[in-house]
Amino acid sequence: MDQFITTYGFLIIMMMLQAVLALSLYLPLMAGQLSLATPGFFAIGGYVAAVLSTQKFLPAPGTTFPEPLQSFVTWLATVFPLTPTGQGFPIGLVLVEMVIGGLLCGLVAILIGLPALRLRGIYLALATIAFVEVLRVVSLNLPITGGAIGIFGIPQPFPTDATKFSYIVIALPFLLLCMAYVYRLERSRVGRAFIALREDELAATAMGINPTYHKVLAFAMGAVMAGMAGAMTAHVLNTWNARQGTFDASILILAYVIIGGSRTFLGPVVGALLLTALPEVLRQVAGIDGLPDFLAAFLRDGRLVIYGFLIAFGVLSFPQGLLTPELLKRKKKASAPLPPTGGG
Amino acid sequence: MPETILEVTGITRRFGGLIAVNDVSFAVQRDEIFGLIGPNGAGKTTLFNLITGLTHPSSGKLFLMGQDVTHQRPHQIAAKGIARTFQNIRLFGNLTALENVMVAQHVHTSSGVFSGIIGTPKARREERHVREQALHLLDMVNLADRAETVARNFPYGDQRRLEIARALALQPQVLLLDEPGAGMNPNEKAGLSGFIREVKEKFALTVVLIEHNVPMVMGLCDRIAVLNFGQLIALGNPAQVQADPAVIEAYLGDEG
Ligand SMILES: Nc1ncnc2c1ncn2[C@@H]1O[C@H](COP(=O)(O)OP(=O)(O)OP(=O)(O)O)[C@@H](O)[C@H]1O
Ligand SMILES: [Mg+2]
Repeated sequence: MDQFITTYGFLIIMMMLQAVLALSLYLPLMAGQLSLATPGFFAIGGYVAAVLSTQKFLPAPGTTFPEPLQSFVTWLATVFPLTPTGQGFPIGLVLVEMVIGGLLCGLVAILIGLPALRLRGIYLALATIAFVEVLRVVSLNLPITGGAIGIFGIPQPFPTDATKFSYIVIALPFLLLCMAYVYRLERSRVGRAFIALREDELAATAMGINPTYHKVLAFAMGAVMAGMAGAMTAHVLNTWNARQGTFDASILILAYVIIGGSRTFLGPVVGALLLTALPEVLRQVAGIDGLPDFLAAFLRDGRLVIYGFLIAFGVLSFPQGLLTPELLKRKKKASAPLPPTGGG
Repeated sequence: MPETILEVTGITRRFGGLIAVNDVSFAVQRDEIFGLIGPNGAGKTTLFNLITGLTHPSSGKLFLMGQDVTHQRPHQIAAKGIARTFQNIRLFGNLTALENVMVAQHVHTSSGVFSGIIGTPKARREERHVREQALHLLDMVNLADRAETVARNFPYGDQRRLEIARALALQPQVLLLDEPGAGMNPNEKAGLSGFIREVKEKFALTVVLIEHNVPMVMGLCDRIAVLNFGQLIALGNPAQVQADPAVIEAYLGDEG
């Protein structure tokens, strides 16, 4: 087990964070809006955490936080007993950064969403890519974001854990909460309004659904999730710079949703978990003894080729994605009425 | 004393050089079944789109219960009590029949994001009510046994009735039906007049109906407006309209 965690601990944390990002792209898509802005919000969230933790939340060695922060941290430590105050950066403060980063992203999303969501389809996608690019260039040039170098030495809540697997205490509940959120949303009044807009915007408006309000809302929800994920990732990576949250990430996250399935929240999650794990799986397969050298080399070095091929293959053979609501329903029906069979 | 529920005055809609609806004025009284007929391309559907705010008039005004709603957006007009069906059926294809009807209760419910997600007692009560209401409406159009079927898998005639159920879920004052008989089999068509009457009585509706089947319109409607090339060429009760030379001309011209 230790060996497993040493090898895969970091990967598992990354898989969970990528799954949250997939949900963040899925949310506006639920309302029929193809937005690729997720990496932009991810970047903002990361910078919020990096700036706050390196400049605001970190007391000089041997001292305490200024009041009232110290009382707040003490209180957080009682709420989250895992907080290793003294040796590591308080987990409670990571959570606070996630909330601040998320809220800021939600706010930015409302401001840019109101004009941008007038655009449709591919035009919205392009505009959101432009947003991601603008953010990248701005962060390269601002003093507070550390310019091209970025921000180093983001304090660690688990300074002794080189595998970063300890972050699971944040990442897993975070992912589960996001999943529960979207699961419940899909079955609620507001979520149904989103889905109606996706299915037929004109008919939905004729049924009394305010398109602007719901599109901006869905966009902002996605932004909050991406911002929170970014804030946590900044701690995991220990450093944050303009290479986090770029156009490539937009496409990768879109691939999670397309491969996993874009009509149920499980699709993006499964897509993200699979695609994030895939390079590692390929590396492991390449390491199997007795594999011809050329094949092993291909699996190791041709990873991106295989990756691209699998995405193309997935899209062609499962145009709806791996998981569809119909498939999930059929599974449920098929498993429900089965009487217990005797013998074994 | 009849009460005007819906009124258009001098309404005009141009598409480039084409005048789809040309200076049309009429008033629909509460409680009546108002027919809208005319040859293909006369502007009937465009008029429905104008009334529901899906397209905006080039000039003219639209009043609902005395209130000027000319510049309101479609969801605002829907919330004020106008529901419609579409000539080329526009159901939410991937949603079940039940979900289609549940969605349309949006304006009469109030659960927000968080009450819906957390499932507060009030939100849960509302959700249950919405579901019951939807099942009740599906029952009325004889689709309750297929509530969990995805809308696009229904035969044409059933889709038409599902669309009516969805429109009724909006609890409208005025129901606009755009060729509800199109694509129905003869059996369904024969029952359509009775069904529209029944729905109208049950929900205390005013109905505006576009329909090409002239005998059906004559038998069902209290008053009829006739459009031809975007213009209102006749307005009156079925007998008056049937005897109107302009109408005869328009229809004979259409066929000849
Ligand atoms: N969005 C649009 N853009 C351009 N032209 C349009 C548009 N909508 C309708 N038209 C034109 O306006 C005219 C009226 O169309 P409309 O659909 O209102 O006719 P209709 O009376 O409903 O006909 P039908 O009986 O065939 O349904 C037609 O010539 C049509 O081509
Ligand atoms: Mg028409």
